[in-house]
Amino acid sequence: MKKALFTLLTLTVVLSTLFLTGCQKKADGDSASGGAPVVVKTMAYGDNSNAEGMSWERIVGYFMDENPDVIIDYEMLYDEAYHQKVVARLASGDVPHMAYMGADARWGAPWKEAGQQWDHRDLLKDSMYDTSLIPAMGPNGEIYEIPLGTSNLTTVLFMNKALVEELGFSEPKTYEDIKAMVPAAQAAGLEVISIDGADGWAWGSCVMSAFHARTSGDPNWVSKAVDGQNKFTDPEFVAALELIDMMVKDGVIEQKAVLVDYGTNISNYSNGKALFMVQGQWAAGGIENPEVADNTVMMAWPAMPGEKAGGAGSVGAAIQVGYGLTKAGAADENVKAAAMRFLDVFYSEEETTQRLRDGAIVAPILKGYQTPSDLPAIIAEKVRFAQSVALQSDVVDAFLSGAPNDTLNAGMQKIVAGQSTPAEVAAEVEGLLR
Amino acid sequence: MNKRDQKELMVFLGMIGPGLLVYLFIVAYPILYSAWLSFTDFNPNSGGDWSFVGLLQYKTMVEDPNFWHAFKNNMIVVAVSAFGQIPIGFVLAYILFRNRVKWGHFFQAMVFLPQFLSTIVIGILWKRMFAADGPASRIIQIFSGDPSRQFDLMLKADTVMYPIGFALIWMYTGFYMLIFLANLQKIDKSMVEAAKIDGATEPQIFTRIIMPLMTGAILVSAILAIAGSLKGFDLIFAMTTQGLQRNNAMVLPIFMYQTAFQDYRNPMRFAYGSAISNAIVIISMVMILFSNWVGSKFNAGEDY
Repeated sequence: MKKALFTLLTLTVVLSTLFLTGCQKKADGDSASGGAPVVVKTMAYGDNSNAEGMSWERIVGYFMDENPDVIIDYEMLYDEAYHQKVVARLASGDVPHMAYMGADARWGAPWKEAGQQWDHRDLLKDSMYDTSLIPAMGPNGEIYEIPLGTSNLTTVLFMNKALVEELGFSEPKTYEDIKAMVPAAQAAGLEVISIDGADGWAWGSCVMSAFHARTSGDPNWVSKAVDGQNKFTDPEFVAALELIDMMVKDGVIEQKAVLVDYGTNISNYSNGKALFMVQGQWAAGGIENPEVADNTVMMAWPAMPGEKAGGAGSVGAAIQVGYGLTKAGAADENVKAAAMRFLDVFYSEEETTQRLRDGAIVAPILKGYQTPSDLPAIIAEKVRFAQSVALQSDVVDAFLSGAPNDTLNAGMQKIVAGQSTPAEVAAEVEGLLR
Repeated sequence: MNKRDQKELMVFLGMIGPGLLVYLFIVAYPILYSAWLSFTDFNPNSGGDWSFVGLLQYKTMVEDPNFWHAFKNNMIVVAVSAFGQIPIGFVLAYILFRNRVKWGHFFQAMVFLPQFLSTIVIGILWKRMFAADGPASRIIQIFSGDPSRQFDLMLKADTVMYPIGFALIWMYTGFYMLIFLANLQKIDKSMVEAAKIDGATEPQIFTRIIMPLMTGAILVSAILAIAGSLKGFDLIFAMTTQGLQRNNAMVLPIFMYQTAFQDYRNPMRFAYGSAISNAIVIISMVMILFSNWVGSKFNAGEDY
């Protein structure tokens, strides 16, 4: 009984202290600004265990310590949960002032539909940002969010150079060069190209976003198809789907890839079980084995059979996501000023460099930014690769959404599993789109 | 009404009022809103004008092959629950009740263990079991002698519900076992002893004494299983990856979620999603009424 009383008393004292400390902190904040602090309701992206989430919490923490007149009242979610909550909050009228958002068919659609996209051009400081690196996001050149970095490259081949050379090969220039590696790789018990084929989006974002440009010779073929200028049943798109079929039949991609998820794919590559991995540039930060990371060369898909000159060397690229104000946030001058003050810190050179080191971005959008010379090898390789990309092609799900996009993704998985033909998948997508 | 009655009425209202208000706001309002929304073309995200469209959303739903695919999968889940989890749970409970195994408490804890785990964790666990070169594939490879063979039931629309059904049984059987065990322990053991003295065999005790007394518990379990199966979302969502697997394993709640929250091309997606969710409620009610009817035929609720 005495022990219980003592525990209860201790708990009461600790909780009271914490409560009073919180009250004191709030009072300090209030008095510093001479009034109630400005609350910026924010929708953040990440979770407590990844670099993105931890970085967000750290930045918010020290920003609020140094700016007691501002409260960044945030809700942080990741992946599917984030997308679901954005839709739910907007539909219920609980619009955040500031949010992690994009401007395409996936990341921008709910904000556009809710009429919450707001043009940041007037507030972007010329002295801070290299605005030539920020692409237009609206019909009149509007910039609806501040991208974390330059274009997000989605169709990247990560090559384990040491492993490839060990088998007696060198960096492939054509598809035939990769195909020639199949017997040696199989004999060594290795995959040639690994992909997280169980994730439908990986086929769309990491494969088809380059292939449509290669077979059509037009890097903007998908956006034109969505606009009605092309059809998904056109021979060039069917030919792009046939490349997937061909790779499976040639053993370049194994049929079992359609049962491999995102984490397993990166883990397989990182553990030296595959010569190549196809993923987006962001996967570089996930290659944890230093021997593999330091020996990785990043490259575009090599020349594919039937490739047309206009699409040669293309890499799928989408506008990078980032934080931005919503129309609701921008409507209040105090909130707008507080949010921009926070974003100045969030996008500062120091934080951008950290983001670069974490592997979260390709290259910064800051004016006069000098890339540090001591970057980890894989990150330096990513910057080199990004600078070498001469032609960027449409990322499929940046333009195609909903049921047609889902059908295309699942259709490519069916092709790999031998359940559908490229022509059937193309017809199904076209049927749903029109 | 005299003063005393008025006072009692005030006390009554004062006691149920707060709870009733919370209920109306959190439960009743969304149900009514969803019902209203399903008869309109309103998009709460974009706001603006709306029109009454009658049964358009329901017509679209019954003409949508995805709805029937999801409905079929849901019926499989209901069947797995009603004819898999409940009978297995009952048999396990009976074995424990009749002390037919040593270390009964250990087995009871093991079977109930999945109930302590997060559904998402269980979903990921089973996803890994059925992944490329995962445990299920390894077993096939060992028995077939072919190291390239894979467990591919998750990739086919007509087989995907087998592994999912297996996971559902693994997860929920312990729950039903506990319900049955609690009810079995309420049975007066002297009835069983008397039957044994009269020479009744174990099957006779089971069919003539235990089963009639357990019909009420079976009915309650069936209602829980049906309602749970029709609104079940998390386990199947976590077990499948986005794309072919999830499309194959789509059940009505996932179909509703994908329609309302992801199909940005459809401006009426919230109204359509509401129609799907209302259909889930209606199907649940019909099946629960059917269960009650079946239960009444078997004298459910017989006293101990």
